[in-house]
Amino acid sequence: MSSKNGSMAESMRDESDDDSGSAAKLISIHAVDPGTGFGGEDYEPWLFQTMLNELSERELGVGFIYSILELFATRHSLTDVAVVLVNESFGTQMFRLGGEAVTPEMAAHLNASPGVYCEPDTVPSAECDAVRTACQLAMSLHLARFSAAHDPLTNIANRRSFDEALEVSAARSARYGWAFTLVLVDLNNFKAVNDKSGHEFGNHLLRQFGFALRQAVRQGDTAARIGGDEFAVILSNAEGHESSGFTERLKGHLVALGNPVEFTIGTATSPRDSTDPGELLRMADGRLYEKKGIRIS
Amino acid sequence: MMSRTEEDFELELRSLPGVLNVGITKHANGDVNVVTLIANSKDPLATRSAANQIASLYYPEAAVVVEDANRALVDIQRGEGPRVALIRADYDTSDGFCEVQLSVDGRTGIGRAGSGPLIGGAEATLAALRDLGYDVPYSLMTVTNVTNGRDWPVIVTLRSLANEADRFGIARSEDDLISAVKATLDSLNRFLSTLESRA
Repeated sequence: MSSKNGSMAESMRDESDDDSGSAAKLISIHAVDPGTGFGGEDYEPWLFQTMLNELSERELGVGFIYSILELFATRHSLTDVAVVLVNESFGTQMFRLGGEAVTPEMAAHLNASPGVYCEPDTVPSAECDAVRTACQLAMSLHLARFSAAHDPLTNIANRRSFDEALEVSAARSARYGWAFTLVLVDLNNFKAVNDKSGHEFGNHLLRQFGFALRQAVRQGDTAARIGGDEFAVILSNAEGHESSGFTERLKGHLVALGNPVEFTIGTATSPRDSTDPGELLRMADGRLYEKKGIRIS
Repeated sequence: MMSRTEEDFELELRSLPGVLNVGITKHANGDVNVVTLIANSKDPLATRSAANQIASLYYPEAAVVVEDANRALVDIQRGEGPRVALIRADYDTSDGFCEVQLSVDGRTGIGRAGSGPLIGGAEATLAALRDLGYDVPYSLMTVTNVTNGRDWPVIVTLRSLANEADRFGIARSEDDLISAVKATLDSLNRFLSTLESRA
């Protein structure tokens, strides 16, 4: 491992020496040996303690990566440090001390392979490996958490997190009388769009619709994709009439995007209509189908 | 410590195709100022557009810069210095003024000029470079747009204040203003790479 690190470090240093002026200063690399396991053989108490501290307050995520880089830089008096990670979904990702942008010149150097790049090159490779692994873990956990809660096409909440949000809103409404309005949104004739223009174009329109929906809701509201062309919104602190304002905002954003999709909504308000999530969904669904002129038994 | 919103914002940006790195600079009051993306994207305009959409949801006031990692590699091989990037260019039809915001090494400069999107765009670009601290000893001589049926290339000519030597730049883009800005930057590319900004 050390010989591999050494040779790569030298090779990076040679490359960097050739570049004059503003070329990247991050010249050392501690690449990860695929043969080693978590953080090599060395145990890093400071890193472990930092992870425990972070976990006691919240889940590991992108913020943890920056916390680790800052502690790592302080601990070893580094002037600069960056970590390069490779993720199955995101590909190569770079993080730099202080959340600063990796300059394009650096990116060209850092592209080489995953690992921790330090300036100056004074850190034992085992510790670099441990830092990289901890950062990799934080990135993967954040991504897994985000993916579990969001629809991948539109980046708004998925059915699962919508159901959870509806349960919470309904429970609060039942207990404290806090009002909210559930809005179900169904795109009109969307199947025909897919059939006529193809699924790629259909997905483009759905992405745009998701974006318009995010623009149209207020802070604290929940927007979700709950089916192929079905969306749902929880308008917090709303007693029903707010849904018309939301609808107008949504239409306005769709026009601004040049999205020709039309939609129909059905609403139900808690606690006025019900405080049961299932009942609210049935009522909103029924009203939506009523507007579409469809009778459901 | 980053908030959950900041974390999700960064994660969403990183999920865009080809994005390698996200850098975020903030004002003293903590508001996000400039978001810089380093991307290996095949379509930087699409990446920038998507990043702008995401930023508009989280931090509407933030400016978004997309830097091409591949171009940087070429710049290194040519021995060129830091690149000036266009953050935004706006044309106000009511008063004919253009406003151009440029960025280099995380700093931004703004320039304004009248006379429409072509001349105004080029003049505003020179003003923005001066706002960034560059000493640009050139004056605008001509701005010409050439219609070839497909897009709108713009040619900019600058004249040296010292020796009357001319510099030419050409660029094509989605509209006259952006083309004029990029053509002005193109004309000064090699000159800027030899200079250090004073700011």
